[in-house]
Amino acid sequence: MSTPRFAVVGHPNKGKSSIVSTLANDEQVMISALSGTTREVQEYPLMVDDETLYVLIDTPGFQRPRAALEWMHAQAGSSAERPQVVRRFVEQHQGDARFEAECRLLAPLIGGAGILYVVDGSRPFGHEYEAEMEILRWTGQPSLALINMIGSGDYRHEWENALGQYFRIVRVFNAMKADFDKRLQLLLAFAQLCEAWRAPLERAVQVLRAERQRRRTGAVRLIAECLAGMITYFRESPLDSSKSIDRQRAALGEAYRAALTRREQACRQAVESLYDYNRLQRREAVVDILDEDLFSSLSWRLFGLTRRQLVATGGVGGAAAGSVIDVAVGGHSLLLGSGLGALIGGASAWFSADRIADIQLLGKSLGGQVLRIGPMRNINFPYVVLGRALLHLRMLEGRTHACREPLELVSAADSLRTAGHRQRAGVEKVFAALRKQGAGDPALLDRLGHAIEPLLDGGDEPEA
Amino acid sequence: MRYTGTMTPAALLTDLIALTTALEADGATDTRRRQQRDRAIGKELHGQRKRPARQLSGWLRRVDIADWRPSGAHAGVHLYRVLGVSLAVLGLAVGWTLARGVLSYSGQTPINIFHVVSALVLPQILLLVVWLLLALPGASALFSGVRATLGVVHPGRLAQRFAARLERGRTPGLQLLWTQHQSRVMTPAGRWLVSYWSQLFAVWFNVGALLALAYLTAFSDLAFAWSTTLNLDNAEFHRLLQWLSWPWHNLYPQAVPSRELIDASRFYRLQSGGFEPAPPLSAAQLGAWWPFLFLALTSYGLLPRLVTLLVSWLRLRVHLARALAHIAGAAELLARMNSPLVTTVCAHDDVIAGAPGANADASDPVPSARTDGVAMACPVVGWSGTYAQRERLAPRLRGLGIEPLDWQDAGGGRSLHEDRTLVASLCQKRQSGVAVVVRAWEPPLLDFIDFLRDLRRQCGARQAIVVALWGGEHPVATRDSEVWRHALRQLHDPYLHVETLEPTP
Repeated sequence: MSTPRFAVVGHPNKGKSSIVSTLANDEQVMISALSGTTREVQEYPLMVDDETLYVLIDTPGFQRPRAALEWMHAQAGSSAERPQVVRRFVEQHQGDARFEAECRLLAPLIGGAGILYVVDGSRPFGHEYEAEMEILRWTGQPSLALINMIGSGDYRHEWENALGQYFRIVRVFNAMKADFDKRLQLLLAFAQLCEAWRAPLERAVQVLRAERQRRRTGAVRLIAECLAGMITYFRESPLDSSKSIDRQRAALGEAYRAALTRREQACRQAVESLYDYNRLQRREAVVDILDEDLFSSLSWRLFGLTRRQLVATGGVGGAAAGSVIDVAVGGHSLLLGSGLGALIGGASAWFSADRIADIQLLGKSLGGQVLRIGPMRNINFPYVVLGRALLHLRMLEGRTHACREPLELVSAADSLRTAGHRQRAGVEKVFAALRKQGAGDPALLDRLGHAIEPLLDGGDEPEA
Repeated sequence: MRYTGTMTPAALLTDLIALTTALEADGATDTRRRQQRDRAIGKELHGQRKRPARQLSGWLRRVDIADWRPSGAHAGVHLYRVLGVSLAVLGLAVGWTLARGVLSYSGQTPINIFHVVSALVLPQILLLVVWLLLALPGASALFSGVRATLGVVHPGRLAQRFAARLERGRTPGLQLLWTQHQSRVMTPAGRWLVSYWSQLFAVWFNVGALLALAYLTAFSDLAFAWSTTLNLDNAEFHRLLQWLSWPWHNLYPQAVPSRELIDASRFYRLQSGGFEPAPPLSAAQLGAWWPFLFLALTSYGLLPRLVTLLVSWLRLRVHLARALAHIAGAAELLARMNSPLVTTVCAHDDVIAGAPGANADASDPVPSARTDGVAMACPVVGWSGTYAQRERLAPRLRGLGIEPLDWQDAGGGRSLHEDRTLVASLCQKRQSGVAVVVRAWEPPLLDFIDFLRDLRRQCGARQAIVVALWGGEHPVATRDSEVWRHALRQLHDPYLHVETLEPTP
């Protein structure tokens, strides 16, 4: 079975490369306001491992269609000869700078590629298009016309009338805004052009759907990891008694906020990369909750033990020593030895702890006070972070690779509004478990992922 | 490097540290290249699909990441081995020394069996019970206080703290297992490593103690007896020892102390003139205690510790393998390896040459509007359909100082021959110039450029040619104006001007 091949052809600057960029999910396709940006033929195959399901071909636009058609008219005898005349045109003008663009764009067509003719539906139809449409008709290849709505104008009916005379299928398609389903519908429309293309294109649609789901699952997992990490994140620093505690607290708070922001940005980048966006510019404000006063606490440590653990250790040691006395007197002391030993051991640990903590070993104190900031206590914090992440993911999924504008992440607060009561409760349960158990439990992350994914598609029940 | 498939804790630890650093370094790798590379490796390791740890190990042995050196992980594993050997040597030394101390015999007072059992056997039973409690599933939270309390004197914990000191400031090593306090993935592996080290110490402690007992029994004349201030009579002590001897009483009954031996070997410090065994036992027969001691140490010390060492080793292996498959980025890596690679992007790297006009000399002036301000009466060519709008366009042209003398149609649906004839007729008359009105939203094709060149060739080099951009019902977009100016700049024509017409209502 031959692999379906489609050449995207048309007038220069009418969004051919945008269509290719959108269908191929390739942000590297050069799109420019300057006419004739595409000068080489580029192939964009849909490959599943080593198997090619279809090939999309970006081509330069027509430059001298009237001259080319004039040459063809001069050569053609009958309608049946027209495809041969187009072939002869390409063969005879190879290397001719005058018809460089025409030869390049017609070459895939005489090689059997289908035609995907692109026009700008936001601008009026003009007679200069007739020559190129006529040439395309001469090729005899299966063809489909796409009315690409680039600007604000709407001349689609004018175009539909004109295109309908040359092409069997005419579709309106906005390369900048086409959602995933519209892209798949376009592929299925290609399948109508040729019976032999139906099976590979239907398979391509299946593959793309599965790939989409795989990416979504991966993105949700990344968001869950990031969220869990941010909810449970804290930062500690040994307290330097020679410096102002407020200043140390402020510095630690700044580092804490910076670390959370870095985590969130790293997650954004990873999700974008998953969706083949590696050059995307993004504009996003810092989480506003981070500007609030952060909770901080001081704790005491020695050998990594808290004071309470240290006293317990001293107590156990003392009790062990005291038990020797109990054993020696055959238990007649009624465990008084153990009890007294525990008391003495615990008290010694309590009173000598600070002195031991000040001892320097290899230039570091053995213990002392530790300043800690986090985890974030604001109960809205996980929802704000989740809302922002979901908004980002939704915008990515709704975006096409032809769109080169920066991604503006605004109004994240609304992104959880569609969540139903049951879904919110599910998410809250996982948040509570995370606060209690900490992050890093794969099962908990799976649960969080399962709770998050339905939120992408809206709620289970509307809220009053 | 060929994947050997070893799954020892050392190998897994190497992989865990190496994978952590590799995934971190891999963040800089191009996404597409990474997908292709990982899928290719995944296909090679298809047989290991259901064993993620093995797949990840295989990946590590095949992958080539810039700025990443797999050898970095070996320092951590080296430390793991060094600490293991050190603990074994320390355990051996402590066991030997303690046993020598407890079994020291001056020839005056016999060695008190009660002391030996209290020092070498009973604490081991107690510690074994503690270990079993801590190893229970779910015991982690329940006994966290106990663990922290024992932390200071726990050989495994001491090794952990020592490792922390040695690795300070270095790339991830063994500390990976403990520094991520929040990580439920790493914590179990870290806990079992500590347990493994402790059991290693304990096994060698018992070996040391047994060696000391064997050495002293073989090369010196030991006299065992028993004595206690506790209110413990011979029958009770016999029962206690029988209970202790239960593990081997069938296998080696001679090593179970008999009532006669117990009766005969009890002594009191107040006895004058030292200890004299009661008849019918001789001093030599008191040496019969050693098999009991040997088997007690083996049964309650060495053998259980060998089992706990094996359990710790196995659990460490399981949790290291689990951690390997669950560290950040591993799930994504496994997905890349095991899912079909779907690519839609360009097959070549030589993406698209420069934009048209890239060959234009930057020093060329951009065609501008006329600056002489002189009104120009001239013929006007309506290019590609603008001719039909001549009534609406004429006032706009006058606004630019261009008085249309007559209107001609060119381009669009007309033939090239008709265009050539038009150019010839326009240039036959002496005109002050020619204006061409174009639709600004349609980019200038070479077809139009040919027309302008023809016009210049036939009308002369100094004839003013004005290209008037018309935006239809809207003002000409800046973007469209730039496209036109950029394209016409390539003609290097100082008498070619570009004007913008106001929109027609």
